Amino acid sequence: MDLVIFSITAIIAIIGAVAMLVSRNAVHSALFLLLNLGAISVLFLLLQAPFLFAVQLIVYAGAIIVLFLFVVMLLGAERDEDGADPVRWQVPTAVVMAALLIGQVIYVFVTEPTATADSVNTNISEGFGSPTQIAQALFTTHLYHLKSPHSCCSLP
Amino acid sequence: MVPTFLYIGLSALLFTIGVLGVLLRRSALMVFMSIELMLNSANLALVTFANEWQSIDAQIMVFFVITIAAAEVAVGLALLVMIFRRRQSTNIDAMTTLKG
Amino acid sequence: MSQISWLIALIPALPLVGFLVNAFLVRNERANGIIASASVLAAFAVTVAAVANLAMLEEDARRISVTLWEWIAVGKLNISIGLLFDPLTAVMTLLVTGVGALIHIFSISYMHHDTRPARYFAYLNLFVFSMLMLVMADNLLLLFLGWEGVGLCSFLLIGHWFERKNVAPGIVPSEAATKAFVVNRIGDAGLLLAMLLLVSRFGTLSFYGIDGVSGYLSQIAEGSFTFVNMGIFGSVAVISAVAMLMLLGVVGKSAQFPLFVWLPDAMAGPTPVSALIHAATMVTAGVYLIVRNHGIFDLAPDATWWVVTLGSLTALIGASAAVTQFDIKRVLAYSTISQLGFMIVAVGIGAYTAAIFHLLTHGLFKALLFLGSGAIIHGLHDVQDMRRMGGLRKSMPTVYRVYIIGALALAGIFPFAGFWSKDEIIAYAWYFNQNHTTAIMLIFSSLLTAFYMGRQVALTFEGESRDTDLHAHEHLGSMKWPLYLLAFGAIVGGILNIPGIHWLHDWLHPVLHEEVELFTWQMGIFAGITTILAAGSGYLGYWLYSRVLPDQIKSGEEDPAHYYLGDIWKGLELGWGIDYAYNRLIVKPYRHLAEFLHTVVDRQAIDGILVEGSARVMGRLAGFGAQGQNGNVRTYALVFLIGVVIVIGYVVIGA
Repeated sequence: MDLVIFSITAIIAIIGAVAMLVSRNAVHSALFLLLNLGAISVLFLLLQAPFLFAVQLIVYAGAIIVLFLFVVMLLGAERDEDGADPVRWQVPTAVVMAALLIGQVIYVFVTEPTATADSVNTNISEGFGSPTQIAQALFTTHLYHLKSPHSCCSLP
Repeated sequence: MVPTFLYIGLSALLFTIGVLGVLLRRSALMVFMSIELMLNSANLALVTFANEWQSIDAQIMVFFVITIAAAEVAVGLALLVMIFRRRQSTNIDAMTTLKG
Repeated sequence: MSQISWLIALIPALPLVGFLVNAFLVRNERANGIIASASVLAAFAVTVAAVANLAMLEEDARRISVTLWEWIAVGKLNISIGLLFDPLTAVMTLLVTGVGALIHIFSISYMHHDTRPARYFAYLNLFVFSMLMLVMADNLLLLFLGWEGVGLCSFLLIGHWFERKNVAPGIVPSEAATKAFVVNRIGDAGLLLAMLLLVSRFGTLSFYGIDGVSGYLSQIAEGSFTFVNMGIFGSVAVISAVAMLMLLGVVGKSAQFPLFVWLPDAMAGPTPVSALIHAATMVTAGVYLIVRNHGIFDLAPDATWWVVTLGSLTALIGASAAVTQFDIKRVLAYSTISQLGFMIVAVGIGAYTAAIFHLLTHGLFKALLFLGSGAIIHGLHDVQDMRRMGGLRKSMPTVYRVYIIGALALAGIFPFAGFWSKDEIIAYAWYFNQNHTTAIMLIFSSLLTAFYMGRQVALTFEGESRDTDLHAHEHLGSMKWPLYLLAFGAIVGGILNIPGIHWLHDWLHPVLHEEVELFTWQMGIFAGITTILAAGSGYLGYWLYSRVLPDQIKSGEEDPAHYYLGDIWKGLELGWGIDYAYNRLIVKPYRHLAEFLHTVVDRQAIDGILVEGSARVMGRLAGFGAQGQNGNVRTYALVFLIGVVIVIGYVVIGA
């Protein structure tokens, strides 16, 4: 069941990413990015991170993408990259390098038996990734990170 | 259950698409969006490992990443608006002031 | 140091101080002249005192060495800044400072209103200093320093009017200065090689050494010398090699054939400079060098043959070229060359005292003639062409009188100074050396000398003025007394070494060890004949150019004699075409070679391939590398990515 949901969601995410990459119109790109982010938030849910799922939707979909759309429309810069690429060897080199990057990941999967051996943890603990647990960790273990900008500015 | 390497593979794929976006798109807006995509793929990998090791710390990290990404976008887009008002373009190829 | 040592050290120090003061402190024309003259005059006074002190010593003790400080001490070679004061130096020093002082005083008026008086007087003082170092040095290297110093001053003073592009007759001062300098360098190379040879064989450059036996002249007198191996050219005695190399230096500095070409052009300088440098002192340095090193030349008969040949040739060439000149100073310049030839012949045949005697008298009357011509040029506002003169007897009576005295002295008419010194050389050549060819050449030269002086006097002073634009005036100022004194010297100078009195001979005996020749009645008749011949020749020149030909002499036209002699006359006028030959044989091929090296080797090979080629290669490489630095953010990101791929590749695959 999970695998089905994962497959569908992953395909949607990839489609969203690729479409964002290739669409000429910046507004369309922003909307495809939104699709991609939504798909990833579903994956967060699958990975027992309900709080992050909520945050992802609220911050990315609610704030960042809206900000992007707002700026694109404010500037009217939907189509700002017409004409040939001024650096001729930029595109082929970039594609080759990206392929090499993916190739390295696949190489690791193929050559390292441990990379593909174990699966996602089935020993699901109760309440993992819940807002409660996150808040607990955030305000105890990671309190320093959270407060550091604040505390450094309000030293006695 | 879904094996971890599939999540990681998806994360790598999305990251690479984001890299390509940074390298190939000439609009500064698109570069920003591609960066968001890369951040998200990294988030996905972190959440995957958090689930694998049942450790909440990685999720905390993702929480910070999202926060910082929001701040970065706010600042970056503000800069972009200023640049656009000066040059009437968001094409980053036109910004070659640092050319030697 | 004893009292006399202080006096000796003071002699060169005074002109040096004058030079420094004039060069760096004083910027007032009148003060410049007075300081310069005073310093040299004071040096003369000190010299007189030193000579008086020297004369009080025993004859054998009349050699005072003053080592001021150590200059170069390398291994066994030890060269000091040391002054030597012996009778020979004393004579030379008296001439340099005495005539030098008079010329300095003369210059005050002559250079009035010049644009660069400080420079002029400073260089004049520097020249006197250098010349004093030359004659007072106790080793050959210090002598060489003075030798180069006078060469430098000669260059600087010939080019004093460097901004003038054309001084009569068609000389550019800057070019003349360069020519003098370059030609002198040829001779200097010879002297330098001679010094190297001496160092390698004797280990010292000191003439006599501080103890009187360690110097190279003393060693040679002891007979310790060897041969130089010259490879395929066989071997040659060290003495001969040194003598020949020194002769090369002498030929350059004393303007002998074939290197005399610089001296006529050197007349582009101010006239007092011609008097001081190119007549009275600097050019006599070569004669002094040979007399000082007479120990070497005595033992090198093959070298002295060359000395005599070159000297007599020079005397003849100079005298014959002087006959044809129209420039008043060029006549005197060629005359100087000719008279230097006489001196060189004298040292070549071993008549060292006679050479020094002629050097002294010539210094007096040639300085007189040059200063006289300077007074004329000054009075005529820089006109030097004798074709435009004439009739100056009436407008310049004083100059006329002293000039006549100088001309008679130079022509060798009894009883003026030139008669005694010149006839002593000729008589020595005829009677003691039995070198009749040389003697006849010298006699012929002296006849020509009388002829051209008669011609010059006639052209300059007699008849009517040929150029109505000229308004001659005699305004001598400080020029008057030097002329009078030198004229006095030209009259009585011969008394120094009259047969029977021979003061100079006795005075120089400690240095030269020459026995006084016996004066016989044949020699008296011989001298009488040469004098009558010279007087006749002189009168012939005077008569031709004042009575017969004056109507045919016009400004800008050839001499009437050119009509009869044609190209021979023209060739004489050009100094036997030596200059022309140099131009054709050396200067032009050299220029072509330089042009070739410039256009082909320098422009194409060095500039084109090595310099610009390597620059182009580096430019290409840089352009290739600069493509990565295109200022494009995306390209930088791509480079970043390449780095990431490489690092990850290293981590996952390589490690």
